[in-house]
Amino acid sequence: MPTDNDDHVDRRTVLKYAGTAGAVGLAGCAGGGDGGDGGDGSDGGDGMDGGDGSDGSDGSDGGDGGDDTFELGVTMGQMDSGLDPQDHAETNTEIIVGQLYEGLLDRDKQGGIIAGLADEWERTEDGDVRFMLRDGLTFHNGDEVTPQDVRYSIRRIVFEDVGIASPQSNDLGPVTEVATGDGQVTVSFDGYNPIAFQLFATNGPIVQQSWIEENGSDYINRNANGTGPFRLTNYESGNQVVYEPNEEYWDGAPEVDELTMTASSESSTRVNQLLAEETDIVTNVPPNEVSRVNSSDVATINSVPSARIIFLQMRYDVEPFSSQQFRQAMNYAVDVESIIENVLNGFGNITGQPTLEGHVGYNPDIDPYPYDPDEAERLVEESGHAGVEITLQTPIGRYLRDVEIAQAAANQIDSLSNVSCEVQQREFSSLVQDITTGNIEDKPHFNLLGWGNGEFDGSQTMTPLMSSEGALTILKNDDLDALLNEAETTQDTEERVDILQEANQLAHDLAPWVFMHQQFSVYGVSNEISWEPRADEFIDPDTATRQ
Amino acid sequence: MSFGRFVLKRSLQGIGVVWGVVTVVFALRFVTPGSPINAVAPLDASQETRQAIAAELGLDQPLYIQYGRYVFELLQGDMGRSYIRGQEVTTLVFERLPATIELAVAASIVAIVLAIPLGVISATRRNEPVDYGATLLSLGGISTPNFWLGIMLILIFAVEFNIFNTSGRGADVGDVALSVVNAEPFVGTLLTWLAYITLPSIALGTYFMALITRLTRSGMLDELSKGYVQAARAKGLPRTLIRYKHALRNTLIPVITVLGLQLGTLIGGAVITEAVFSWPGLGTLVIESINQRDWPALQGSLIVIGTSFVLVNILVDVVYAYLDPEVVTD
Repeated sequence: MPTDNDDHVDRRTVLKYAGTAGAVGLAGCAGGGDGGDGGDGSDGGDGMDGGDGSDGSDGSDGGDGGDDTFELGVTMGQMDSGLDPQDHAETNTEIIVGQLYEGLLDRDKQGGIIAGLADEWERTEDGDVRFMLRDGLTFHNGDEVTPQDVRYSIRRIVFEDVGIASPQSNDLGPVTEVATGDGQVTVSFDGYNPIAFQLFATNGPIVQQSWIEENGSDYINRNANGTGPFRLTNYESGNQVVYEPNEEYWDGAPEVDELTMTASSESSTRVNQLLAEETDIVTNVPPNEVSRVNSSDVATINSVPSARIIFLQMRYDVEPFSSQQFRQAMNYAVDVESIIENVLNGFGNITGQPTLEGHVGYNPDIDPYPYDPDEAERLVEESGHAGVEITLQTPIGRYLRDVEIAQAAANQIDSLSNVSCEVQQREFSSLVQDITTGNIEDKPHFNLLGWGNGEFDGSQTMTPLMSSEGALTILKNDDLDALLNEAETTQDTEERVDILQEANQLAHDLAPWVFMHQQFSVYGVSNEISWEPRADEFIDPDTATRQ
Repeated sequence: MSFGRFVLKRSLQGIGVVWGVVTVVFALRFVTPGSPINAVAPLDASQETRQAIAAELGLDQPLYIQYGRYVFELLQGDMGRSYIRGQEVTTLVFERLPATIELAVAASIVAIVLAIPLGVISATRRNEPVDYGATLLSLGGISTPNFWLGIMLILIFAVEFNIFNTSGRGADVGDVALSVVNAEPFVGTLLTWLAYITLPSIALGTYFMALITRLTRSGMLDELSKGYVQAARAKGLPRTLIRYKHALRNTLIPVITVLGLQLGTLIGGAVITEAVFSWPGLGTLVIESINQRDWPALQGSLIVIGTSFVLVNILVDVVYAYLDPEVVTD
């Protein structure tokens, strides 16, 4: 963090001089050591500051003979929940662990599938998938990556008896067996899996079997031995994680010389850190702080449409939502464009189907429902539910401005002459408990929810959320079920896209959701660096360069 | 009652209270909505995955078994394993505790250094502008929410003037001490430490400062109106000597009691300040654990906070009893 250091030097120099002047006794203690530093910002070199990451080796302020290192700081909302790459299921941990571990395949910034530890991949004649490992891959401890390690990694995720009950057990699909060959691994599924490569591009970090088996959970969660672009140098649980570049990385070591990841749960603190030049990338800048960042001369806002969709789901089996007209009326009643503009400061894209633009199966012919309160009132009358009172449940603070969005939508519905709507705020964990219960009868009638689709494939949203057997479903529709089943078994890629597009059209018409918007990931980025965010919420500091 | 018996009695009472804390904290889990499995498992996890995770976390056992096992392990110093982090809670909590204690002590120091002179001055110059100023300041200190104060301090002194760090913890007291032993640049380490700890300790200490100022002022006024002060004055003793040697000393006895008790409050009350300043202490761990439904980590943190409160109370009682034997016979 070059600027950071400049600043700290200034600050320290001021403090040093003040301290020296004010406390002769203290200055005396410092003696030659401090004199040697001479206020040149070489604090990092003396080893006392290095640990804090944001203050580490200085010297980029020019003219003092500094070593010109490129330090990068990333501040998120929350730290990791331990470093075991297979024993978590949330984004922050994925970002922190993802610098150290990687999977067989990867994704580019737009979400396209690219090579990872496997440089070739293919489908075998009987429908299994085969990955050819790169030559000369090594773990951070120097040991070679073997097909057995890959087999163990996949099995550890999928099969409970291999070590842990991994919360990622569904992420790789219904894997039945993993076979190894000479430099290759073949994964078999329970039936044909059309999205196997999509799944492996997002999931399945590879660990070293012997390292995992030799160490206990506590150790694995505090240390790392992956193949990623960075190596772990210092792990302070809940405080900070410090990395150095992996010089042996197969894709070339990153330009960053030292990476520090920290977290501040307060969004204003994150923005202040960025503006005080103590960090270079901050996540989730709230809309009301955007202009403060943009008007500063040290940082700018960099946003990207994410793979997360926000919607209001309505249960198909309870009145008044059992009526398709009523559900469509709710879509006409909510002015999503104005919510995006006024509540989200423009950081959102309106949607009209469950699949986001750019994802497999997106149907470009579907237009979002327009804002038309008259049509909404007419449809409510037609549905026979005029005068109904409904309640929208919303989580608090889980998604960007979730409560404000829910309130705006509920107000608009409430302003219809024949429906009254109020908002009920729920603590996310307790709302989720109701949403994920096995029985549809126990689920909320009407609630706001967000869904991240890391696989960039329409089926990964519609199957869990709208098919009869989906873990989170609020809909049972035979036609949609048939389409999704067909998509699951269709081997022809283009044909599968057509089926998913048809499913999207049907979902639009059935309107089990009030289709809201695609959430944006909003980052504050220091002007000292050049870095582009990704669509899947992952942060890749190895692609950052100095301006 | 002998002094020894008094200490024993207080300690046994303390153990009882800690056991109560453990039980209440354990019971909280079952009256709070939301299952920890939701924090561990992804939204679309199948029921089988949820059951497997529940079994792995021991949540499928009957309540009394979970409670018995928890207390049994606690007695052996084992607070269990974090649901979310997969790490030992004992390690997690004791890694964070020093940062919180350091912040609480620093906040107390800030409070004492400002409050006692302020209280004395405002008592000795009663109804003068300086007294009104101090009263206003302490009123402000009591009524200002410390998260707001924290954010303002960051905006002014860290972002605008760039004097201090916005957040985090760059060096600790240990580093400062080590820099002396290892002959490393002492001033540099000290200043790094100060750059990080100054703002949070002011934010946390302000309320406390206001409290002590009021206490010192009223105590001092009390003392100054007493007969021995009048007698000393009549004897012609210098005013400074009367105020600072005699009156202040007597004023400080209740103040010190409050200081002791307040240290416990500061350890527990640092939660919001720690969140604003991303201070890696127990408070941050409490917030994170609540957000993630990480019950073992939350229970561990609350038990340690509760226990330190009890310990400080016992310590204050014992010191009091030692200084004033009447307390024991009561």
